[in-house]
Amino acid sequence: MARISELLPRSAIVLNLQSKEKFEVINELVRPLVATGAVTDEPEFVSAIVRRENMESTGIGLGVAIPHARTRAVSSIVLAFGRSDAGVDFNSLDGKPSHLIFLIAAPEEQKTEYIMTLARLSKLLRMDEVRIGLNKAGSPDDIARVILQHES
Amino acid sequence: MERILLYVEDTPGMPTAIAWSLKLAKGMSCRVFALSVIDPAAPRRREAQASDAEESAWSLLYEIEDDAFQQNVRISLLLESGDPLSRLVSLSSSYDAELIVASADCRLTTSELVRQSSRPVVFVK
Repeated sequence: MARISELLPRSAIVLNLQSKEKFEVINELVRPLVATGAVTDEPEFVSAIVRRENMESTGIGLGVAIPHARTRAVSSIVLAFGRSDAGVDFNSLDGKPSHLIFLIAAPEEQKTEYIMTLARLSKLLRMDEVRIGLNKAGSPDDIARVILQHES
Repeated sequence: MERILLYVEDTPGMPTAIAWSLKLAKGMSCRVFALSVIDPAAPRRREAQASDAEESAWSLLYEIEDDAFQQNVRISLLLESGDPLSRLVSLSSSYDAELIVASADCRLTTSELVRQSSRPVVFVK
């Protein structure tokens, strides 16, 4: 199974998110995934993400959110990352805004890989040193390095 | 009823408890809080095993989330560390759960959960 660092293209790392609102942030992160070719149907993918966001809280606390969807609008598992200094309200159970946002796109038929990617990323992001590293990183390469360093 | 707290453990009976909880939640249009607790006192030989335990816990939680999503059931995932019984009792109050659901084969001392909880508890078999 691919590592998180292998699933995150440098072109899909946004160090300074311009959007302030959850669904605008999602759109900002989906665009580079469409450019990679992994998201083949942007409206359908965004619709799947929005539907999930309306039913669940993908803010996992600690300033982290992981919006995600598994849909036919995706050809291979791919991640995007965005960082927001101001923070974005992802309805986290701890009530705090999310500053580190990972968006996961997965094909409908890859349920196991999708679940494992979510689990591994969630575990990674509960580590203090990972969140500190991601907050401090100055470039997409730094982001990738922080993740790679802590992946077991 | 608006909130069900589902206590999640990787036991043979858990799929039945999950299915029962999601069916109940769908029927009553309520939200499920799926809670997994990592017990730092549980015997593990190496640090890697603790890391594996956390990954397994997340994996099970996301499986439940995916099932809930397919069934149009609202869900929130909670992964906590500590003593499972005390965390479960404490969080049932914090989230104002109106019902606690656990698998009948969970590793909690069931009589202690019933004694300590101020909420109704259902063990699913």
